[in-house]
Amino acid sequence: MPSCSTKCGRTAILKRPKTGDVLCKDCFFEAFENEIHFTITKAKLFTPNSTVAIAASGGKDSTVLAYILKLLNEKYNYQLKLLLLSIDEGITGYRDDSLETVKKNQEDYDMSLKVLSYKDLYGWTMDEIVAAIGRKNNCTFCGVFRRQALDRGAHLLKVDYLATGHNADDIAETVLMNILRGDLARLSRCTSIITDSGDGIPRVKPLKYCYEKEIVMYAYFRKLVYFSTECVFAPNAYRGHARVLLKDLEKIDPSVIMNIIQSGESIKVNQTVNMPTLTNCTRCGYVSSQEICKACVLLEGLNKGLPKLGIGKSSKVKRLLEEHSLKEKSISKNNCSNSNKTCENTIIDKDFQCLCLGKKESVQIDQLPLDKLTI
Amino acid sequence: MCSVGDDDFENDLQKVMPVIKNVILSETCNKCRARPPLVVLRSKDFYCKDCFLTGTTHKFRALLGKSRLIRPNDIVLVHHQIGHPSTALLHFLRSALDLSTPKKLQFKPVILFIDNQYHLTVKERLDILTAVEQEVNSFEFNLYFISFAKYIANPDSIEELITTHDLTISENDKDELDSLVKTKCSLTNKNDIKTLFQRQLLLDVARHLKCKFVFTPDISIDIASQLLSNVSLGRGSHISVDTGFCDDRDEIVKILKPLRLFDMKELALYNKFNKREPLCVRQPEINPYSSIQDLMKTFVNNLQSNFPATVTTIIKTGDKLTVEQTGLQICTLCKNVLSKATPQLRAEDSTNFSHLISTQIPDQSYSREERYLSLLDTFEKEEYGNKDLCYACYKISNHMMGY
Repeated sequence: MPSCSTKCGRTAILKRPKTGDVLCKDCFFEAFENEIHFTITKAKLFTPNSTVAIAASGGKDSTVLAYILKLLNEKYNYQLKLLLLSIDEGITGYRDDSLETVKKNQEDYDMSLKVLSYKDLYGWTMDEIVAAIGRKNNCTFCGVFRRQALDRGAHLLKVDYLATGHNADDIAETVLMNILRGDLARLSRCTSIITDSGDGIPRVKPLKYCYEKEIVMYAYFRKLVYFSTECVFAPNAYRGHARVLLKDLEKIDPSVIMNIIQSGESIKVNQTVNMPTLTNCTRCGYVSSQEICKACVLLEGLNKGLPKLGIGKSSKVKRLLEEHSLKEKSISKNNCSNSNKTCENTIIDKDFQCLCLGKKESVQIDQLPLDKLTI
Repeated sequence: MCSVGDDDFENDLQKVMPVIKNVILSETCNKCRARPPLVVLRSKDFYCKDCFLTGTTHKFRALLGKSRLIRPNDIVLVHHQIGHPSTALLHFLRSALDLSTPKKLQFKPVILFIDNQYHLTVKERLDILTAVEQEVNSFEFNLYFISFAKYIANPDSIEELITTHDLTISENDKDELDSLVKTKCSLTNKNDIKTLFQRQLLLDVARHLKCKFVFTPDISIDIASQLLSNVSLGRGSHISVDTGFCDDRDEIVKILKPLRLFDMKELALYNKFNKREPLCVRQPEINPYSSIQDLMKTFVNNLQSNFPATVTTIIKTGDKLTVEQTGLQICTLCKNVLSKATPQLRAEDSTNFSHLISTQIPDQSYSREERYLSLLDTFEKEEYGNKDLCYACYKISNHMMGY
């Protein structure tokens, strides 16, 4: 290996994909941490004396994010109160294990941890959702629910910022994907380092300019404990196209990732183009471009035994619901075989069999006591 | 964190990327509903020969007409290449000029062929020049030749370079191209530089021949892959001029892409029905992983074969983008408007800072905070990039001679 580009005299251990420079371990640590400090201060991500929830999954990005935010907070005196926020999707063999990692991080970094589960928020675990919908569109549910769950969690915890571990590769991938899908609204906002989900709690991405490879190397050399198993419900192919393309591009020239972000930041949408306007969901009040937000539609589908309701065109939702209510009228009460009595729930499958497993309570999110959500 | 499904659009999959279904053949043409169909376009539209030809011609005329740019008696320089698109373009033009109805096109095309097929032998290149001359003559257009290599060596003497026949070519032309760039220049950057020079060549020739417009034979897939390449090279802010119908960067000459909404199948069938056989040329073997432009072309092609809406979606996305207001400073290489300096942090700043921090000697006698502050001080004092070049051109200028 050649010697470190900073001419510190030590032997380099890695070549930075971002700049092509080679660095030794110590110089890499300092450079990587200072770069994130540079991003945080230049983009004015946090104001002093605020509370920041770090979205922690136990994976490499959020582990490195939590470690570095704590380190920089102490070193450069950000005066932030940091805490971890995890979402338990209820995926046996994946999230239960990764939550253990998050708990380990909580002890190591001495931060408080809140875990919100899909079960508490929506009444369904991912395992149950997959049992109802199958393995094809399950990621849709998980993605929609998680995004909302994080925001709800941030709201419950009354934090000022929600920090997520999105890295440069994620952002470049999203830019490419939004072009392939022709989604201008998302294309114009996906490169923002601060996004507001409409509820007043900004989401910030301090790792926006960090290469995934460097994050992995940082975690490895710092010996950080993180969870690296893929989700047991294998990811679907959609993001796949953009991801494979980006990996291929990176092989040809690693600086492409920064180029794509630079392009995304300087793209300007013609003002004559109609963009969707954001309103609030009439049911849950969450910010949405539709009258009823995706999460509510998906949840309604699950609860009515129409799990495919939110999958596909939004225009079909109304028709499906009308068809369903007609069917419901034809069987006035659902004779539940699980509880041997008339079931109050409307959770029935396509053969009108009750899916309530004997007992099912509907959950009102706003009435959940906060301490019930704490581990 | 798992980012699959983060953007809740997997559920729109069917809408944005409909998968090809098995084609069920229709009994009659979609248009006239009388004759049996002969052509299937986009795996779903069936046309008989007459309706297909009418539709294709209409599509060509409609795009030109809608723009309302070209006036009667304007001279248009047509960049001719080898292949279906160019042959179809000549046929479109000739048949529209020969009309005796009021729909007759009123402008005057002249054709330009650029000798740049440097993977071929000199004999093959000479054969091509003869064949091109025959092809263009068969359409009764005036033809000019120019050597790309000679233009690069001597861009200021267009008058001596363009010729109507007997273009002098040599084995060494390839070296002329290489002399433009430094030895370590990647193929991606070479392609990018070539594109910039070719554009300049077309403009210079057009000005010399007093043409107000240039037609290029780019078809939909070229546009889509160029758009994605642009994004990958950091030229995102220039998408609308680089891939839009009209490139109006130059004050006098506008570059138009009249075939940008056609796909290869349409034009190949158009040529076949009109009994036109385009010229063939031995293609170089291209490794898709050798450059970003080649990778993008392969990617778009593959995606298109599974999701037929890919190319149109990409093009439509590009059409909804715009450039910053004109009248600002212009990049000296690509002639695009330079982005205004912004107080917001950009990827460019982050990369510059990363490079600085990775090359500065850390002075261990200071505390870490002091080291950071002095670094920040250096960063803010230093001037990055070149104020006459855009982000992407500055990057390639490092690989070019004379910069």
